[in-house]
Amino acid sequence: MLLSLPAIVIVAVVTQAPILATVGLSLVRWIVVRPDLGITFIGLDNYAEIFSSWDFYEVVLNTALITVVSLAMCTVLGILFSLMLNRDFPGVNVVRTLIISPFFVMDAVAGIIWRAIILNSSFGWNGYFASLFKTRPFDFFGVHSLLTIVMLIVWQWTPFFVLIILAGFQNIPLEVMDSARVDGTGWFKELVFIRIPVIMNHIEVAILLGLIFVLKVFGLIFVTTRGGPGYSSANLPYYVYKTAFLGWEVGRAAAVAVVTVVITLVAITALFRWFRRRIGGAV
Amino acid sequence: MGRTRRAGRIPGILLIWLVAFLWCFPLLYMLITSFKGEADVLPPSLWIAHPTLENYVSVLRYQILRTILNSAVISISSVCACLVFGVPVTYALVFGRLRNSDNLFFWFLSTTLLPPVAVIVPVFLMFRLSGLLDSLGGMVLIYSGVNIPIVIWMTRSFLLDVPQEILESSSIDGSSRLRSFFGIILPLARQGIISTGLLVFIFVWNEFFFSINLTYVNAATVPVYMASFMTQQGLFWAKLCAISTLVVLPPVALGWLAQRSLVKGLTMGAVKG
Repeated sequence: MLLSLPAIVIVAVVTQAPILATVGLSLVRWIVVRPDLGITFIGLDNYAEIFSSWDFYEVVLNTALITVVSLAMCTVLGILFSLMLNRDFPGVNVVRTLIISPFFVMDAVAGIIWRAIILNSSFGWNGYFASLFKTRPFDFFGVHSLLTIVMLIVWQWTPFFVLIILAGFQNIPLEVMDSARVDGTGWFKELVFIRIPVIMNHIEVAILLGLIFVLKVFGLIFVTTRGGPGYSSANLPYYVYKTAFLGWEVGRAAAVAVVTVVITLVAITALFRWFRRRIGGAV
Repeated sequence: MGRTRRAGRIPGILLIWLVAFLWCFPLLYMLITSFKGEADVLPPSLWIAHPTLENYVSVLRYQILRTILNSAVISISSVCACLVFGVPVTYALVFGRLRNSDNLFFWFLSTTLLPPVAVIVPVFLMFRLSGLLDSLGGMVLIYSGVNIPIVIWMTRSFLLDVPQEILESSSIDGSSRLRSFFGIILPLARQGIISTGLLVFIFVWNEFFFSINLTYVNAATVPVYMASFMTQQGLFWAKLCAISTLVVLPPVALGWLAQRSLVKGLTMGAVKG
């Protein structure tokens, strides 16, 4: 249908064509700040360089850790918070708002607020509690920078899990709950053997969407740790950014981007296989 | 429709309140600090000794107003472009007689899986060559390309809710395709389409990666300004909190409105799967 054409063209121009260009660029040596070297075709040398650098493996490991740990914590907290919110008590709507709000806060502000007024070792609550208990403040931005990134991602993305999982709990047919109650099943057993299996679909969807988004995290890292110290809290998107816009190594950045795409697609496909579904449930 | 358990369990409810309060604490404390005088910020405390609005007055300078205006123009234009170009595709996918409609839908969805880093280098070069770097138009183009697939994804669930019979009966009446789209489909799916627009607004307003790499001064958006706040303005935390509160308010408010449709739109197809 003719109506679809503009959308297809725009999406293709912004996403499809550049991806092909990225693949092409990954085969050249082009360092913008060294115009004397020019642009030369070097085949797969960029990839060889990447795969023989320790930085790259550190970043891949970080990305895997960030993704797995934060998705696991989001799932557990998402289920717990949904259980809290799936009942009637005074102010349930206020509590819901308080828990969900972080999801809609932009990365840049979330990172800055946490860094400046909460975790800051001299001026934030971190420093305040340290002086209160006469200990040294927790080193959020040095030794434990990766932990800090995971924590911020969990803070931002648990609300998203709550939205989806809570919808699941609220859709459980009353008969299911009633029959469990007639059987005299205990609360915990009822949760693990009846309620969670019934909403497994919702949990899986939350994890899938969470995976897609968490693999793209960039802003939080940019405004809090800048991937540092060294590469200790950098993920793949940040590594591409650093190579492209701080080192101006176009070819190498493109190669890392291609590797990132491959890793992303493998991770997503693996999870889809595991959950036995296709995106959108189309088939 | 929460299932009422016995409401007599006060400690449990207090615990829930405490958890929610702690979860939102950074935002609540940001709000509190924004009303403090700069001299009262340290040591940290929940008490506002001398409440003041001076932070809000003093941060509203030319530079920040301009980035807010940039963000507003880019976000609203992108939402319009995404809906105008995206919703007809959904209409064609759901009600049209496309031979490969499933494939087309899957193609659009697959683009949302790709990390933005996959395209940033060529897009940057393309923008520099064509003069789109640091321009409002360039950002609207990028955000449209990235969010049209999300619009198609979300609105599909809402259009699928419209009963096919209504459309069939209207085509017997002899109304044209175009008329049935504007006269029947749009009004019936209005709620879902509006929520989708709100969601795209939030995504674009908050977007960081493209804006930090493709804008400098002219088209700088709010997130770019916020990321450079401390290096440019120094450690004025009450002011930082005031400006943060201002720029966080629109997406949080809209997100509150759109949350139920967000869940439905993003999950419906998948949850049924």
